[in-house]
Amino acid sequence: MNSAARWTRRIRPLFTVYVPVTPFVLFALFPLYFMLVTSFKKNAELYDVNAVPFLIGRGVTFGHYELLSKDTLFWSWFLNSLMVSVAATVISVVLGILAAYPLARLKFPGANSFGVAIFVTYLVPPSLLFLPLSTVVARLGLSDSLWALVVTYPTFLVPFCTWLLMGYFRTVPKEIEECAMLDGCNRLQTMLRILLPVAVPGVICAALFAFTLSWNEFLYALVFVSPAELKTMTVGVFSELIRGDIYYWGGLMAGACIGSLPIVVAYVFFLDYYVSGLTAGAVK
Amino acid sequence: MARLSAPTVHDSRVSRRRFLGTAGAGVAGVLASGKAPAFGQSRELTFLTVASFVPETDKELKRQLDEWGAANKVKVRLDIIAHLQLVTKKASEVQARSGHDLTALGPGLGDADLYFDYLVDLNDVAADVAPKNGGWLNPNDYLIRGKWKLLPWWMPPFPMAVRTDLLEQLNEKNPDTWEDWLRIGKKGKAIGHPFGTALGHSADANVTLLSILWSYGGAYVAKDGRTVTINSKETRQAMDFVKRLYTEAMDQEVLAWDDASNNRCLNAGKCIAIHNPISAYESAKKDKVLVPGTQREIAEVIDHINTPRGPVDRKATTGYWCVGIWNFSKNQDLAKDFLRYHFQPDNLSKWVEAGRGFNMPFLANLTKHAVYKSDKQYRFIPEVAKVSVPPSWPGPTTAASQQVLDLYIIPDMFAQHATGKMTADQAIVWAEKEMQEIYAGRKRRP
Repeated sequence: MNSAARWTRRIRPLFTVYVPVTPFVLFALFPLYFMLVTSFKKNAELYDVNAVPFLIGRGVTFGHYELLSKDTLFWSWFLNSLMVSVAATVISVVLGILAAYPLARLKFPGANSFGVAIFVTYLVPPSLLFLPLSTVVARLGLSDSLWALVVTYPTFLVPFCTWLLMGYFRTVPKEIEECAMLDGCNRLQTMLRILLPVAVPGVICAALFAFTLSWNEFLYALVFVSPAELKTMTVGVFSELIRGDIYYWGGLMAGACIGSLPIVVAYVFFLDYYVSGLTAGAVK
Repeated sequence: MARLSAPTVHDSRVSRRRFLGTAGAGVAGVLASGKAPAFGQSRELTFLTVASFVPETDKELKRQLDEWGAANKVKVRLDIIAHLQLVTKKASEVQARSGHDLTALGPGLGDADLYFDYLVDLNDVAADVAPKNGGWLNPNDYLIRGKWKLLPWWMPPFPMAVRTDLLEQLNEKNPDTWEDWLRIGKKGKAIGHPFGTALGHSADANVTLLSILWSYGGAYVAKDGRTVTINSKETRQAMDFVKRLYTEAMDQEVLAWDDASNNRCLNAGKCIAIHNPISAYESAKKDKVLVPGTQREIAEVIDHINTPRGPVDRKATTGYWCVGIWNFSKNQDLAKDFLRYHFQPDNLSKWVEAGRGFNMPFLANLTKHAVYKSDKQYRFIPEVAKVSVPPSWPGPTTAASQQVLDLYIIPDMFAQHATGKMTADQAIVWAEKEMQEIYAGRKRRP
């Protein structure tokens, strides 16, 4: 009986958890797997319609990774993406905190309207904004420099961070801030010493989202930066590995694989914060 | 009492008030003028172009730009982007009135009309380079509103890329007409090797379907550049032909093809023939792609022959890649000077050679370049170039004609009928209405 119960306890999750989850995991991982497999295939196999697309049948090649490293400025692009994303994320999260706090906590005329206005700003697509922003960037003399991206990315990151953090800050009980104020903290100290430590999951969630959006951004990076050595990874790979009607599929997939790594690493480390940050505003 | 004295040029100390005043005035000046301060600036010529499918072409262009820059003591920069990105880049540079000095334009001559007010007149450069290169092929085609607003730079002619081993297997020799290709495609499809041409939203679809339309005597706009002429019996004949080609000789996947799909179909050993420049062959050669199930390289069994003729004519078009100078460029004279340098016969010749003939200039002497005799694969390319016309033929290129291409109205019209979604008449009436609206909307003030 005991051993049967133990066996049932052990086997039960297999059917109640692992089996139901498996299709979703496979679905989510399939693009990564396909990218990885394609990046190691020889060109001749990539062209072969009779080859099994999901497996490597004619030997592994590192040629596509070599192409990226030796024939393109891939690692410069990678570094550019990293610098721009980190800078834009830090700026946006700081501004987002400073904007979200008063909108979530202070009562002043138009607070709700400001909140909605910020959300609506986030909804304006970059494909509409890039033309007027081109003028702004040119007037500021920032064209063809990474600063153009550091300055423009917050235009869509700050509204997002603000909106997300507003929701999170509202879940933090006001009472703990009031206690701090009774103990002598001013508003800024309360925010820095009391609210933010409690709101770390929300801040990390906002930072993760901001970093991901910056890392994947394509349009502004294409429009505002032209020199090859200053391109970000998304634009550089696309520019160099799509030549007319010839696509360097192996190289493109190799670039996509390497490009996925920072995001994967960031989410692996901060997954718990991310989940709690996202769901905090869901229930009262 | 302390003596107050105004700071002199020898005074190394700068007061906080003076620093803030000077800095504030400087920043205000920069913001007001929209220009960086003049001191410390050196002359720099920037050139935006599209990535060639033959990377050596870009390297040769860079070499020439560097060489010209060194000789003229000008800093130079060549920026390369994928051709699909050019539309966005052009729009943003024009919006900001800032960007590169020289820019690739196209595909098509329509940019000259669309950006007419933002491009420098190049009449002088066009007149200088023509005599040295045997003259422009069809100079009247390149004039937009009577002016050289761009220089036509290069085109990739569209021959028919064919699998000779499959033709042999089907006992077919010297196919020359679109009807020949229907017959061969039908036989090919029966043995798993269909004909392949895009019927979706891609540049290749525009090119091939316009070629068929003209070959059957049709055209979408008249010579006056205003009258839409798509509603004709010739168009109906062309559409019936394409319907047969689609249903009898091709696979359904052609409806979703992009510009790379037909290359892949040929190099994968599936398609018996595609209407395409030599890029598929060149990449098959470079990647040593094999005929499926054999150890034979597929490049060995690919050949290029003339673009097919129809019952009325033999005509084709292609991407007309051009180069122009923005009128907000601060280096217009330098840019013109570089164009003159690049269009010198020696330099153009080296550049064509680097591109293995893929990039054929619109200059008579260059169509006879030795590269076209260096490989039997290239022998028909000058022939195709001779029958290549701008996509707006017989009308002039205008922003409206460019819009007809950009909205893929021709491929949509053919595809609606080929797939049975519309009758030929319905599809033509739909296309005619679309085109009439475009041409009416784009009509310029007298």
